[in-house]
Amino acid sequence: MQEKIINTLDEREKYIKQKSGRITLPLACNNDSLAGAVSQRACVYSGARVVLNPITDALHLVHGPIGCASYTWDIRGSFTSGATLYKNSFSTDMKELDVVFGGEKKLANALRELAARYNPPAVFVYSTCIIGVIGDDLGAVCKSAQDELNIPVIPVQSPGFKGTKRDGYKAACNALFQLIGTEERKTTNPYTVNLLGEYNVAGDLENIKPYFEEMGVDIIVSLTGDSRIEDIRKAHCAKLNLVQCSGSMTYLAKQLGKNYGIPFKRISFFGTDDMSTALRTTAGFFNDPAMIEKAEEIIRRETERTGHQIEEFKRRVGGKRAAIYMGGAAKAVSLVRAFRELDMEVVIIGTQTGKRDDYEQISCLVRDGTVIIDDANPLELRELLIRQNADLLVSGVKERFLAYKLGIPFCDFNHDRIITFEGFDGMVNFAEEIDTTVNSPVWNLPVRRNCCNSRKQEPKKSGSHENIPFHEKIINTGASANVEELCYS
Amino acid sequence: MSKNYATVNPCVMCMPMGSVLAFRGIENTMPMFHGSQGCSTYIRLHLAHHFREPIDIASSALSERGAVYGGTANLKMGLKNVIKGYNPRIIGVATTCLAETIGEDVPGIISEFRQEEGMADDITIIPVSTPSYRGSHEEGYNETLKAIVQSLASPALPNEKLNLVIGAIVSPADIRYLKQMLDELNCNRILLPDFSDTFDAPLVENNPKMPAGGTPIDDVKDMANSSETLSLGICTQAASAGGYLENTFNIPHTRLPLPIGLEYTDMFAWKLEEITGQPLPGKYESERGRLLDTMVDVHKYVAKVRIAVFGDTDTVLGITKLVSEIGMDPVVIASGTHNPVFAEAVKNITPGSTILHGCDFTDIHREIKNHGVELMLGPFTGRQISMKENIPLIRVGLPNHDRVGAARQLVVGYEGAARLVDTITNTLLELEDKNKTVTELII
Repeated sequence: MQEKIINTLDEREKYIKQKSGRITLPLACNNDSLAGAVSQRACVYSGARVVLNPITDALHLVHGPIGCASYTWDIRGSFTSGATLYKNSFSTDMKELDVVFGGEKKLANALRELAARYNPPAVFVYSTCIIGVIGDDLGAVCKSAQDELNIPVIPVQSPGFKGTKRDGYKAACNALFQLIGTEERKTTNPYTVNLLGEYNVAGDLENIKPYFEEMGVDIIVSLTGDSRIEDIRKAHCAKLNLVQCSGSMTYLAKQLGKNYGIPFKRISFFGTDDMSTALRTTAGFFNDPAMIEKAEEIIRRETERTGHQIEEFKRRVGGKRAAIYMGGAAKAVSLVRAFRELDMEVVIIGTQTGKRDDYEQISCLVRDGTVIIDDANPLELRELLIRQNADLLVSGVKERFLAYKLGIPFCDFNHDRIITFEGFDGMVNFAEEIDTTVNSPVWNLPVRRNCCNSRKQEPKKSGSHENIPFHEKIINTGASANVEELCYS
Repeated sequence: MSKNYATVNPCVMCMPMGSVLAFRGIENTMPMFHGSQGCSTYIRLHLAHHFREPIDIASSALSERGAVYGGTANLKMGLKNVIKGYNPRIIGVATTCLAETIGEDVPGIISEFRQEEGMADDITIIPVSTPSYRGSHEEGYNETLKAIVQSLASPALPNEKLNLVIGAIVSPADIRYLKQMLDELNCNRILLPDFSDTFDAPLVENNPKMPAGGTPIDDVKDMANSSETLSLGICTQAASAGGYLENTFNIPHTRLPLPIGLEYTDMFAWKLEEITGQPLPGKYESERGRLLDTMVDVHKYVAKVRIAVFGDTDTVLGITKLVSEIGMDPVVIASGTHNPVFAEAVKNITPGSTILHGCDFTDIHREIKNHGVELMLGPFTGRQISMKENIPLIRVGLPNHDRVGAARQLVVGYEGAARLVDTITNTLLELEDKNKTVTELII
């Protein structure tokens, strides 16, 4: 029996483990969030929405009350190279009477008028909590709208309460699967791939695509970053699926394998090593000697080009202790490797939606002493960040201010980042971002001013302040009392 | 083409969002949603973006099982865990669409919970009904203020105090300004709510897990014993903490518009003088004089400039008043909240304007184009129109996700008006710079 790592709710203890020795950890995961624990997770609808929203020319209609649409308007920082319809927020804006009498008619009318106004190549209709309760027949309304409007109108079954974010990913995959295979692609190139779970955040694709072109590989569609309906329809023509965000897209990859015989490989475009492996994996799959050679040439050239830039940052960030809290496990795993490239140590790693095999992989990757956590909440993260003496948190917006309030540097690795992190150049950007935050002078500002009349403190010469980051001061000054305050008691 | 059934690009948020703003204005209060996990996460995200603060909101995390068999167990478990984790004095339980639609009896579950746990009175649990389909964040905010007062206010000896209810969502800086004004008048007051610290917390050592600040709970209790209530904000009338106090405890209740601009701030100042029997400190007379001076200085720069103002009803009303005072042309005035009182009030200020309420950004966009608007003022959600039409957008109000300083944006009072007038004028002047010939310079 492992001793308590932090004080938390009894029910939460099995979700937090510290790695020690060779044994892989049994970590509880993939369950409903605990009521009152302030999970960082969202809902089924949110899972579906983040996966599908990057489809740039689709009309994304939220069937429900206005809140669900308000908070997801242009939510994911997915860039587009053309269409911008996805940057609008469409809602049936259900009111009290609609809830009482049902929203099917309103939905049908909304579909009609939106199709006329925006002329989209396809519509995704998301169901929300109340639709799941009042029982509008989303499928039937979509079917008859599809017949009438002559465009695909695809229901996304995502009532918020019917599972976790992960179930939303599945609903999104089911919606995509309905589109795939509805149009053929004429090509003479035998080397074609789809990128699954690539969302073009901050425009990441621009850092990836040129290498595939150089290797002679056609990307049919990236799912779903910067994708268009027409390309999604043709996704079944690919010879290989490269799955990056495994949490959201493995299900679709398997479906495509079963129905179209397309094999899939797990890859990541983040970090120099993972990016190199992704290119090698692709070339290796097609087993074309010229392509394999090309891949090696690219890897040599690009690692050399970016290597000394990264080296520069590495000198400045090496030895720092990183904490990772991600939505999905794939990104978390990739981050562990990237931090290794920067000589940084990972002291906390957690995810919202990781599964058993994800955590097994994670526990093999990390060093002894690393805390692994599933579905963390703010109080647990606070205490862990302090106890594990983290110098950096990599996570999303909600966690950003939690870190800042503890005086801990932060790197956004989620939808809101505005810098590309993928590809060889992305790794340089990432290293620079870590350096920028970790070595910012703000952390060395005195958290407390020396009072003129304070008897306890020695007066200091002006301009000299202790060169200790102030989160370390938090720990060093009266640690026991402070940490108790942070815990569940 | 007509658009009657769909909302495109909403200019409004949902009721539970408003409830969080109200609950976080009371000391030691933890907000909690009864519904699915996503609602709390989305609203945390939305508010974190705006205030740049950590925002904790608990959820009863209803699952499919809860939706079918009722959420009693989840709500009780959630309450228990919130108490263990945060040790709050108040838990504010706002319902979401899900809980309302499955017909949860939240007050019933709460009293059952209290009995089962043998809870003493040291923790108050306040339920409020806030389904997104019933109203906007503005209504959620006011419903919650009313629920807070209903739960806590209890009669005792008269306290000779003024209840100042901020009945519209303003910024932490606005609340700090109002507080200071009352304090400098030595006004014996109770301010509801006060999220000036909880949504704009200083960075200090030993940050507490719940941010410090908020209206003291004893103050809220004592609101039943005040001699008068003054509510700022006149648009949201259905739910009102001041109205409740008047009906229940016979406390005279006055409503004033948010003190935005010269005349509305004058009305507020006059009322404070009447209540306290004291003249406004000279500092404010000077501030007022400087505002007037500023208005005179800029009047030609801003004259007849066609401006669109949108956002929350009371803020929009006040800003419409302000821009009218300096001779701008408020051609499009809009709020996403459906509210005839707002429309009427705006019409009284500027009868010629196009006034929209319950609208979305497509409606606002259309009117902006129709009227050749030159300047936009409202939440950041107007940015797409601003970029598309190349019209500058001055960000005021919630949400503001793409600029810093939302928590420190002062709009109320003479000082707030002067700052806003400066911003408006400088924005227009910068626009003119773009059209000027650049001087050839040699280095």
